Amino acid sequence: MTTTNTIGTMPPPPAADAQPLPRGTLLAAVLAVAGFQLRRLFTLPRLAIAALGVLFPAAVLMAVRKTLSGSMDGTVVVILYALIPEALCMLGLLVTMCPAVADELERGTWAHIAVRPHGRRALLLGTFLAAVAWTAAVAILALCLALAVSGMAHPWRRFPLFAALVGLSCLGRAALFALPAVIVPKRALVASVGVAIVVEYLAGFLPAVVNQLTVSLRLRSLLVQGMGWGRQMPAGMQLLIDTNPVWVQCGAVVLLAGVLLVASVLILDRRQFPPSEEG
Amino acid sequence: MIEVIDLVKHYTSADGQIVRAVDGVSFAVGPGEMVGLLGANGAGKTTTLRVLATLLRPTSGTARVAGCDVVLDPVGARCQLGYVSATTGVPDRLTPREILQSFGRLHGVAAETLDDRVGELLGVLDLVSCADRPAGRLSSGQRQRVSVGRALVHNPPALVLDEPTSVLDVFGSRDLLAFLSNLRSEGRAILLSTHRLHEIENRCDRFVIIHGGRVAAQGTRAQLAGPAGSLEQGFFAAVEGTRA
Repeated sequence: MTTTNTIGTMPPPPAADAQPLPRGTLLAAVLAVAGFQLRRLFTLPRLAIAALGVLFPAAVLMAVRKTLSGSMDGTVVVILYALIPEALCMLGLLVTMCPAVADELERGTWAHIAVRPHGRRALLLGTFLAAVAWTAAVAILALCLALAVSGMAHPWRRFPLFAALVGLSCLGRAALFALPAVIVPKRALVASVGVAIVVEYLAGFLPAVVNQLTVSLRLRSLLVQGMGWGRQMPAGMQLLIDTNPVWVQCGAVVLLAGVLLVASVLILDRRQFPPSEEG
Repeated sequence: MIEVIDLVKHYTSADGQIVRAVDGVSFAVGPGEMVGLLGANGAGKTTTLRVLATLLRPTSGTARVAGCDVVLDPVGARCQLGYVSATTGVPDRLTPREILQSFGRLHGVAAETLDDRVGELLGVLDLVSCADRPAGRLSSGQRQRVSVGRALVHNPPALVLDEPTSVLDVFGSRDLLAFLSNLRSEGRAILLSTHRLHEIENRCDRFVIIHGGRVAAQGTRAQLAGPAGSLEQGFFAAVEGTRA
């Protein structure tokens, strides 16, 4: 604490006819927020949780290898799919995407971000970018480790398929969790778990039109196509996949993510938080 | 520079009742002028400042910053305004330098001028010695100065501060208010709310007293206090006159 008046003077603000004040671009603001959020993720507790996430699928596969005998490539692929693009990505995004707005409200930084020219949109999109980058990086590391210990024949041939599934899972689910993050920021985690269970798992496994709007259907269908399992599956199981080409599956996830993000941005643009909801 | 015309802001409470937080407030702050916004808790000060900062949308009426309407051109208004909230909201893990750089980038300050700008702010706000120390280890006064620096990083001509001295001790308050006086003398328009009337009594050019969401009185210290009175007496007279 200072005991004398040590605060100085500043150059005056620009004159009215001077160059306009910086407005920035949305892209620059998004990148600034993404960098800021990634810095926040580089803490020891977060890194420890990420390390657990990296190790867990490999540990499960090693345990499975000890239990089962004979060729088990199919089983390993199913376990890899359930653990990495589904469980690990889902958990990573729940932790990183859901608190996008709630964290800022609790820390008292919401007002300081929202008063910037593109602050609200940049907060959401920058957090989305950071969440996708962080979760995908953890999932890819987990994938590499799991493939290395999987005991499959030619494990690295599966890498492109699973890396694509990780990328699409992160993209789609991060956008899906953006909606609860802006609609019910203080209950976003609970709401997102609800969305994940009801939309992704319950609706995603209903052989009806509604599951066309889920990420899980697209990922499952890509896995089945990528592994060439389509014709071997029982008729009942074939109802749970979509036989459209790969580009349709990928395009559907990208389109779904785009629609969800635009909706989230528009909602956040209009959100008003009374002072009592902050800090 | 800052204009508020017949501003109304209503909230709907949890039980469905309409709360008239601001109910027809009008005032203006010119360039090179420092205006104190006074009122009891719940008078509508923070809501008024938040409407100006584009954090809340008015129910009706107009608010402008440097000619930019906060509803029709919120991005323009944000470019012209620096905002300091009652809570410092300074991230504990980042250093003052990192905070100013992050918010400068977020605001769109050009990369080639950002380092100079941040260095200048650290200097004038007397933060050089702690510029690379995590904000969690700074004193309240230093954190508040970081918050002020964050509001000034884009060199705005208008500044809105919500109880900026509430977390400061007497020395910190004096330093901050002296700094704000310097900003005023550079031609910036400054609007600040506070409960500490004695601190700003001789600093502000004019005062706006709000009570129950309405302007109870506004004018210079002499106009509000009368020849022998203090600003505090003028404040009580205005508020109790409204109550009566």
